Amino acid sequence: MIIQNNPIISVKNLTKEFSSGVCALNNISFNVNKGEFLVVIGLSGSGKSTLMRCLNRLYDPTAGEIYFHNEEISKLKGRAIRVLRQRMAMIFQHFNLISRHTVLSNVLMGCLARTSTIKSIMDFFSNDDKELARSYLKLVGIEDKALERAGQLSGGQQQRVAIARALMQKPEVLLADEPVASLDPATCHVVLDYLEKINRELGLTIICNLHFLSLVRRYATRVIALKSGEIVYEGDPQAINEEWFKKIYGETAREIYVK
Amino acid sequence: MSNSEDKHIRHYKGFFLDSMTFGYLILVTIWYTILSAESANEEALLNLKQILAAIVIPIIFGGILTYLLHKNNVTTLGLHIFEPKYIKLQKPPTSWHKTFWGWQLLITFLITFIIGLHVTEFSFYELTDESGFHGAKRIFSALLSPEHAILPKGIISIIETIYIAFMATIVAIPFAFVFSFFSAKNIMGNSPLTLAIYFLLRTLMNITRSIEPLIWAIIFSVWVGIGPFAGMLALLLHSIASLTKQYSEIIESAEDGPIEGILATGANSAQVVWYAIVPQVLLPYIAFTVYRWDINVRMATIIGLVGGGGIGTLLIQYQGQAMWNEVGTLALLIILVVWTMDTFSAYIREALK
Repeated sequence: MIIQNNPIISVKNLTKEFSSGVCALNNISFNVNKGEFLVVIGLSGSGKSTLMRCLNRLYDPTAGEIYFHNEEISKLKGRAIRVLRQRMAMIFQHFNLISRHTVLSNVLMGCLARTSTIKSIMDFFSNDDKELARSYLKLVGIEDKALERAGQLSGGQQQRVAIARALMQKPEVLLADEPVASLDPATCHVVLDYLEKINRELGLTIICNLHFLSLVRRYATRVIALKSGEIVYEGDPQAINEEWFKKIYGETAREIYVK
Repeated sequence: MSNSEDKHIRHYKGFFLDSMTFGYLILVTIWYTILSAESANEEALLNLKQILAAIVIPIIFGGILTYLLHKNNVTTLGLHIFEPKYIKLQKPPTSWHKTFWGWQLLITFLITFIIGLHVTEFSFYELTDESGFHGAKRIFSALLSPEHAILPKGIISIIETIYIAFMATIVAIPFAFVFSFFSAKNIMGNSPLTLAIYFLLRTLMNITRSIEPLIWAIIFSVWVGIGPFAGMLALLLHSIASLTKQYSEIIESAEDGPIEGILATGANSAQVVWYAIVPQVLLPYIAFTVYRWDINVRMATIIGLVGGGGIGTLLIQYQGQAMWNEVGTLALLIILVVWTMDTFSAYIREALK
């Protein structure tokens, strides 16, 4: 059962304003419990991606606090940020692999944080790490592609490589920034099924940005809806009805179903 | 940097640009009127104090004019250019001839062109003058009847030229490779310290690059003596500066996605550079380097003219003795090599795309 009083991540009054004057997040607070599959929904520009990048400190929050295992992380610097990022892996809409490198090499990049600079620049990864990388490739079902160039793979396959790279970090949390937004509907389920698998079998806490409500209802254990940088809904994904949908996406929006 | 601060700096940049253009227009108009009115009196302008006054006063007037225009909300060229994008995008597009800045640009350009005709002593009469025409014809016919006896000597010198260019390029690569990362804004723009290094290196490279290799060759021919080594050093310095700039621009245009991807794994800066940036920039680096070698071959011939060794040195000797047949042979040799290098490097760059 979820332990409500001991969240893995706790966000308090988080605000992010960009130098251009855009306020992407406005005083939002929420908790993430261990083992959750938390889905964040909202229109493009509602602050979903910014929220994620504040959590792993790719962005510096303007105000507010973020607690990870009760440790304040919003003001960390230098090495401490890198340690945080290693514990909080991330996958992206456009996969962000190094397309000229092999699949295996891309997965090995997941252990850069625990490899010395000299060793990593000499491409010297330990046999244990190589073994581990292959086992994660096996987990996401593309072990046979290990020595192909990452750029040659299809979108769905590239996202699975990205998942393997993320797992290679041995993280506690996986941030997924619109992981299926540039994939076709059939591939969506393959990728999300893998995310569900690692959520259940490896016990990783997942925070995932999604667009399609049908996918949210199928995969999320809890949902947060953002609108113009503020939380407008938080709770059970099954409880989002027509009324809530209009509130989140606007009066004229209509739901699209992905089977 | 906050939004309003940025807006202010942009406003000052605009003010500076406008003051300069207006000041320039006032200056050249007065200057042109004086020159055409009493062309014999050029010496009056050679007094340093007067020159300074003649430059400073128009700029002050330009500044006053700019101030008045800005106060009356006229969108001058400076304001238009340095207007922040988010404000510019809110305005409906207007045709240039209905704007102040459009006319300001056109008038500045036209006046510069008219003055330019005067300064360069542009004259169709000189170009089509008969006796001048005959002189040109004599040289051209001599150039087109090459003297074969000089060919072996010429070939040896042009090989020297190619090697000068090659060495300058090869030795420049490691320096430029390292410097380029320190002079790319997307890598160095994060902390005040790295930004300071960025500005320092960038300025140093800009200064080095703005001094022509010809001048470097003169300096080095005094330093290490006339010959190919001086030429090589001159080209080397210029190549380092140029390649650093070109390489760093490639880094700045690298895709952000892979960089973000590697950053998110908890990698440090060196690892991000090695894994996310280097694979993206390697091919364009090679293309630019081959092109640099090609440019260096062309420059090496010119550098020879001031004592940088190679075929240029040979060419200037024969030109000094007005031995046009020999000069013609050497010129043909240069054309052949430059054309070959040009084609060769174009093929390689095409293949690398």
